Amino acid sequence: MYILEQLVNGLCQGSIYALMAIGYAVIYGVVGLVTFTYGEIIMMGSFSAFYYFIAFGDNLLFALVAGFITAALVGVIVHKVCYQRFLDAPRYISLICTIGMSMFLKNFATLVFGSEMKGMPTFFEGKFISLAGIRINYLQLMIMGIVILFSVGLTVFLKKTRIGMKLRAVSQDKKAAALVGINVKNTTLLGNCIGCGLGGVAGILLGVYYNSVLPTMGGMAGLKAFSAMVLGGLGSITGAAVGGVVIGVTENLGIAFASSGLRDVFAFALLVVVLIVRPQGLFGKKGN
Amino acid sequence: MIKKILVVVLCLTLVVGILSACQKTEDVSVYKLGVAAPITGNYAEYGKGFQVATQMAVDKINAAGGVNGKMLELVVMDSKGDAKEATEVARKFVENEEILAVVGDFSSTCSMAAAPIYTEAKMVQLSPTSSHPDFAGMSEYMFGVMGRQDAEGPFVAEYLAQKYTDANKMAIIYLNNDWGVSAHQNIVKRAEQIGLEITTIENFVDGEKDFTATLTKIRQTNPDTLCLVMFYNELVIIAKQIKQMGWDDLKVIALGPGISEQIIDLGGADVEGIATSTPFMVTEENKTAYDFAMEFETKAGFTLNVHSACAYDAVFMLSKAIGNLGKDVTREAIAGELSAMKDFVGVTGPIVFSAAGDVTRKYLIAQIVNSEWVQMTDYSYVK
Repeated sequence: MYILEQLVNGLCQGSIYALMAIGYAVIYGVVGLVTFTYGEIIMMGSFSAFYYFIAFGDNLLFALVAGFITAALVGVIVHKVCYQRFLDAPRYISLICTIGMSMFLKNFATLVFGSEMKGMPTFFEGKFISLAGIRINYLQLMIMGIVILFSVGLTVFLKKTRIGMKLRAVSQDKKAAALVGINVKNTTLLGNCIGCGLGGVAGILLGVYYNSVLPTMGGMAGLKAFSAMVLGGLGSITGAAVGGVVIGVTENLGIAFASSGLRDVFAFALLVVVLIVRPQGLFGKKGN
Repeated sequence: MIKKILVVVLCLTLVVGILSACQKTEDVSVYKLGVAAPITGNYAEYGKGFQVATQMAVDKINAAGGVNGKMLELVVMDSKGDAKEATEVARKFVENEEILAVVGDFSSTCSMAAAPIYTEAKMVQLSPTSSHPDFAGMSEYMFGVMGRQDAEGPFVAEYLAQKYTDANKMAIIYLNNDWGVSAHQNIVKRAEQIGLEITTIENFVDGEKDFTATLTKIRQTNPDTLCLVMFYNELVIIAKQIKQMGWDDLKVIALGPGISEQIIDLGGADVEGIATSTPFMVTEENKTAYDFAMEFETKAGFTLNVHSACAYDAVFMLSKAIGNLGKDVTREAIAGELSAMKDFVGVTGPIVFSAAGDVTRKYLIAQIVNSEWVQMTDYSYVK
């Protein structure tokens, strides 16, 4: 029973990682580069929700939608500053630019929002359902539900809509996409925004789950998202989702058997082991 | 030729610059004290408290005519609660000849990291809050005002946990740093002596946010009381996550956060009933302390905590030591003066240093009742 309960904890945490990793994978797909600003996007989403809760009451649905939009708007800024000007320049310039942007956003948040921790409202306080003796609280159920909802929504969007198809085409081959008449610039911008929006939503869930937001929370979150994506296989959205869940479960089982101080050790040790055995990641294609 | 003239001119300006800098240090019309505190970062509330309280102390001393006719001045530096930053700050203070002594740092980890640098410069580091038993003993220039962990830990185990809270089976979560390790070991040691069962001991690294897995694990051992050895940030997160798990019959006690107002602001209803040990609590009977607490609240924007009160006393101790020295104020002499001081009474009570340079204090119990810290007196010490 105890292990199953820890498994649920891990699944819940893992689903948040999964959403972060999915967003990261979308960005990686359209931009073709890893981004170091992603953790700060997550933090921005979290902070926006904190202020929406203050301004409009504890309405989670509204905060999720508004947080998605806010993070997507920050994504526009990141795109304008870091990618648009350097489309034809060497790739590492954009990469370094995202590092700078990450530092800027972190310090901007510290200055504007203050460096101290802020508390998030509690939802469904203490209510849980008991499934064969395993406690699953409402909040965990809701988080997993939201993540599944967003993942399914994204898959439908990518597979069934014209814009989704354009996004996939740009991810696969920019030049070929341009040849068949797709506006690569705008599509990249859109993909970047969607990825950032998903990151923002994940940030809100993270804030609500941990009951706290901090300007420095993005660093570790971004690292976990990146690890989850690499674990699943670069650019694969299914892989990113699975990678996130696997990392979450590993961390929580690790804590169950050892100590919470060793949380990150388990997560990153798993990443290293998987990369040694299967360098392309769980779902990646060979030679990618 | 022009080059040579330029070189000579440059050298001259440099020499003149150095000479004028030397003259400045001889002609001190003020005494400067350093303050090393975590102004930003995880312990920002405590750092802000340090800043406000030390400035209040200096204002009060200067309004009364200063020390030996000279004004006191503070130089505040942010150590961010990070040992690496703390050593940087220490180096800057040590290199600045005008700084006579330093008030700080907040955490034992930071104070202990900076200690060798101050010791080498024979400079006093008077920490308002470091309570690691090894800190003050590190050298004759290290002093701690807060009290020692090997006095507070046993108090928490015996009085707060067993006698006040009625704990039979207790679990502990501690912050994994120098202070947390020492503090929880002192609790465990006394708990073993008095027959209080410790069901499990968990730790976490500074900055941890998710305690669900740890709490699930602790719940498995079925304790009736949970002892949190940490500061306000993590304490509030844990309190909230306990409520979120629907774990209502657990009693929570704490060592470390003191009577911090941030706990109530951040935690709201979720922290109701948490009890902690504190060496000091302001009551209206104690006029000086009460006035100070009121003034502090208007200046800082939050209620006085014990950490800031200790910082306030620390400045007064240093100013008294400098005053006693009269004309021959040196960094080294201040240390001797501090350890010889036997008659100092601050807002936190009388402070007399032991041979090592720290203080053994008595402790009180405070609990959050109706979203307010209340001093608990109606419990029996002999139960």
